[in-house]
Amino acid sequence: MRKLLFRNIAVAMFLSVTFLAQGQKFESPILITSAGQSADVKLVKLLAARQQLEATTVLMAEPSDVEGVKSIVIVPGFSSKGLGAAGISQEEEMNRVKELVNLANSKEIPIIMVHVGGNARRQGQSDAFNELIANNSKYMIVVAQGDEDQFFTNIASKRGIPLKVVEKIAETGEPLANLYQ
Amino acid sequence: MIRKYIPQLIILAVIAVAGTIASIEFLEMHHPEPLYPSENLTEIVMLSNYSEGLKGTNADTEIFVFDSGKPGGTALVCGGAHPNECAAYLATVLILENIKVTKGRVFVLPRLNKSAFTCTDPMEGFPQFYNIETRNGTRMFRLGSRVTNPLDQWPDPLVFSHYPSNQQLSGFETRNINRAYPGREDGNLTERLGHAVLQLINEENIDISFDLHESSPEVPIVNVIVYHEKNEEIAMGAVLGLEMQGQNYSPELSPDNFHGLSHREWGDYTNTAPFLLETSNPSMGRIREATTVELVLEGKSKFYQKAKETKALRIAYNEERGEPIDHRVARHVIGVNELIFSYNMLQEERTIEIENLPDYMEIMENGTGYYLHDPMEPNHENKQ
Repeated sequence: MRKLLFRNIAVAMFLSVTFLAQGQKFESPILITSAGQSADVKLVKLLAARQQLEATTVLMAEPSDVEGVKSIVIVPGFSSKGLGAAGISQEEEMNRVKELVNLANSKEIPIIMVHVGGNARRQGQSDAFNELIANNSKYMIVVAQGDEDQFFTNIASKRGIPLKVVEKIAETGEPLANLYQ
Repeated sequence: MIRKYIPQLIILAVIAVAGTIASIEFLEMHHPEPLYPSENLTEIVMLSNYSEGLKGTNADTEIFVFDSGKPGGTALVCGGAHPNECAAYLATVLILENIKVTKGRVFVLPRLNKSAFTCTDPMEGFPQFYNIETRNGTRMFRLGSRVTNPLDQWPDPLVFSHYPSNQQLSGFETRNINRAYPGREDGNLTERLGHAVLQLINEENIDISFDLHESSPEVPIVNVIVYHEKNEEIAMGAVLGLEMQGQNYSPELSPDNFHGLSHREWGDYTNTAPFLLETSNPSMGRIREATTVELVLEGKSKFYQKAKETKALRIAYNEERGEPIDHRVARHVIGVNELIFSYNMLQEERTIEIENLPDYMEIMENGTGYYLHDPMEPNHENKQ
């Protein structure tokens, strides 16, 4: 009985956070970057451009790229080809991302996580990046296939982070743009 | 006296019979199965027309040209770079036997590494042939090797040094066409093949090109579209378009420091927009069971099922459906179609318009064989 009560309270809190998040707004200019170097970041770049968002995309953003930025959109997902193209190891990429996240937190620049890679960017080497970014985000937009096991829902629920789940990659552009209107 | 040698003679006779059977089966691999290009075929040219070094070798191969006669762009669709990746080959055959080009030209090269169709990979236990049921009969296809037949190119060096980058890989890769580009005119057979493909792309002004492949479910680069950095917009547009058709493809950028591959060297050495597509084939994986024709075609593996259930690996394997040949062929066909569509969106004059290719649902509902030519009609005018 007590277990059920706690569960209901948790669900109610999550739903209320999600409800409040409908009105959550972020500011431009936006920095779009990757965590794990998958090319999914290029899809988000394309969708942001179609929504006419004021954004700069830097695949391997460094602290200097954060100058003047008011929000950061991070697209997590591991890609061995992407890391190969960038000429770095997984460990170096993780260190870069951690540094970027720490800098954003210290400067109080909100992070928005956009996960569009579905199954292909889950588990394996991707989840370390997914978890880091999800835990440090102020808002999450996730394509449903990537959350079939409730990975992102659980993080959102536990940390009170608003989460928008969409069915298709093409549907991520609109909720992202809504955050800036 | 003779009685004394009877056991030895019996052993010799058994060896002779077994050797004869094995030889017949092995030589069968050198007989390409007939293909039946669609009625819209314009001409057939040999790859050696573009590079003399291939003439008279087992790597020389047919290119099927479909010219609409209406000015536009030119596409090249290649299958059989790795003939053990059967969905890539079958998808190209399906395109070859159905396509109608209404603007521009399409070149179809179904047996890119023809030499590799004449053997299987040692120690892998692959079947040599598989059958596909068509509407009115069975067609048999060869299942080949990942690399050029060692009878055509031997021996392998201990370490393969890629030309011209000097990138070093295992000696085995010296016979892998998808590590040999851009190739060279006076190189080994696989390098000459690579050179000829680049000559073809350059001389025919190929605008967009496809290299179809399959890989193991556990490999990270699976169910992907690999693109060259200059063609990002085409790739992203296609990924979104394919998603609208209910099929997810991950975009993967071609690393600029990994040499010899089509998506890198075709893009670097020519003006084409190259794309490499991969589907998931459990019969190629390291944790597969016995490699039977059923596994190759139905793509259902109890070991991959187990791996999926235990989450021991991140694998591209559908536990309900498996990875059947129709699904894999369909993904290649719609992948090519959508990438051409996405390319056209960014073009004004050099567009390519094609018709008569089935969509994903049609292939899944009717089966690949439904779209392959009926073998009971022997007098097909384009039979090759």
